[in-house]
Amino acid sequence: MSGEVWVYSESEAVASEVATAADDVAKGASAHVRMVDISSLRPTTRGSGARLLLKGPPSPEVSPAVAAEALARAARELAPLAILLGATRDGREAASRLAAKLGVGCMAEVAGLASDGQGMTGERDVFAGKVVAKVRCRFPAVATVKVGAYPRAVAQPADAQEKDVGPIPDQTKTLGREKKQAGSVDLRSAKVIVSAGRGVKKKEDLAILAELATAMRGALGCSRPLSSDLGWLPEEHHIGLTGVTVKPDLYLAVGISGQLQHVAGMKDSKIVASINTDKDAPIFQASDYGIVGDLYQVVPALRRALAARR
Amino acid sequence: MKIAVCVKHAVDEAELKIDPAGNPLLAGAAGKMSTFDKNAVEEGLRLKAAHQGAVVVFTVGGAESKKTLKEALAMGADRGVMVVSDPTALDALRTATMLAAAMKKSGPFDVVICSEGASDTYTGEVPPMVGELLGVPYVGYARKIAVEGKTARIERSLEDSVESVEAPVPFATSVVSEINEPRYPTLIQIMQASKKPIEELSGEELAPAGSRTWVEVLSMSSQPTARKHVMIDGSPDEAAAKLLDALSKEGVLK
Repeated sequence: MSGEVWVYSESEAVASEVATAADDVAKGASAHVRMVDISSLRPTTRGSGARLLLKGPPSPEVSPAVAAEALARAARELAPLAILLGATRDGREAASRLAAKLGVGCMAEVAGLASDGQGMTGERDVFAGKVVAKVRCRFPAVATVKVGAYPRAVAQPADAQEKDVGPIPDQTKTLGREKKQAGSVDLRSAKVIVSAGRGVKKKEDLAILAELATAMRGALGCSRPLSSDLGWLPEEHHIGLTGVTVKPDLYLAVGISGQLQHVAGMKDSKIVASINTDKDAPIFQASDYGIVGDLYQVVPALRRALAARR
Repeated sequence: MKIAVCVKHAVDEAELKIDPAGNPLLAGAAGKMSTFDKNAVEEGLRLKAAHQGAVVVFTVGGAESKKTLKEALAMGADRGVMVVSDPTALDALRTATMLAAAMKKSGPFDVVICSEGASDTYTGEVPPMVGELLGVPYVGYARKIAVEGKTARIERSLEDSVESVEAPVPFATSVVSEINEPRYPTLIQIMQASKKPIEELSGEELAPAGSRTWVEVLSMSSQPTARKHVMIDGSPDEAAAKLLDALSKEGVLK
């Protein structure tokens, strides 16, 4: 064992978060952190450790399949204790394939990482966020680190060791990539989110919620039915287990019943307020402030009250 | 076209009870087909409708898992393969190892479909692992799948982009719930499903020597975020004003 904890993410920003998690693992395992780049060295990747550049894959576009194979080839030779990736969709794919190639365990979307020297532990949400599970995996191990759970590591320039892993053919071909119609504000960084649910009767009525969001200098989100079933908003507005996870200062749930899958995506919000006609709606259990009422009356009232204050 | 679909008999998270000390009461907890697996079954049935062939559903788990297999059969799958294994000792790699071994026995398959993650544990690791262990190309998070001859075109739904990927058949994939609207089986289909064949295999026999549970669960606890639960009453205008007052005091109103 070389006593190393490797960090890789296709996203530079996520890589610098994973680096912070890797520091915690390295501390407990008396190991060193190594930031890994594939194909080309990214000058700005922030990490606290030494660097490793895996050369061989042809293009700067590194698919999860190619990343997994490059990391596996290097790991078989250099035997790191742990390889940490970011729990993005691409990262989850790459980590799972990497673990299967190496025949080692993979902890999914963990936070609170630590090491007892023989393996690592982490915490993850299960049962739609109702329960937190503490999991452990013996070294060597792979894990994906929950996005947004760690601060970004500060930049520490270091020389990169290079390793040729040989050419890696990709069995699939990326034909194109289209940006999703991003909302005016990124939900992950929004301080205020107004979120719409099934209580909204028709697509056109979303305008009054969008206006409220703008008046509160926030962004508009929604529960799954509005984006997936009804298609009233693009998928990137969907907050929940399979959508975006957010933690704004204020989360205002409007006409959202509060299914566990939705709450899983917003339960770390600082303050939650909700408006719903049903006094027994589960959203009130997940709220600091609740108004039992018709959103078609309460939302315009909020607009008026906001306008009167400014 | 031979289509394999993986389903999981998951803990019904909405029904799961928590004791006063915060321990989830998992023994005897209610189960259901993992929510998003219905989309995986539906996509398998749609591919079959377009290309003929058969849909075989696979599951790994205890005796209870048969209910989920039957539900998939009622939706329209042709037959089921039940890999019997103690569900408390299954991590992603062990599950995937058993699924891939079972598929090799009754395959080869042109398409292997999973959902993006189980609604209870949501690791999302089993689908790529199955693809890897079968040695076929894998393209996950599909929101659209079109197969033409020996080539599939898949739209991958990523965090802030949609990626179009071309993969050769055979391939494995995971689907996101936006991909389709799962059908509900009719009463007749549910009755007919009981006549469809289910093959039982032993997980321990399928898993190669040296295979084990890699990721262990040390503990589970429920500590919901403490909320104030203040209900605000009055007319819409009164309630709105009171809410804004409260939010100002909290310092969360910009």
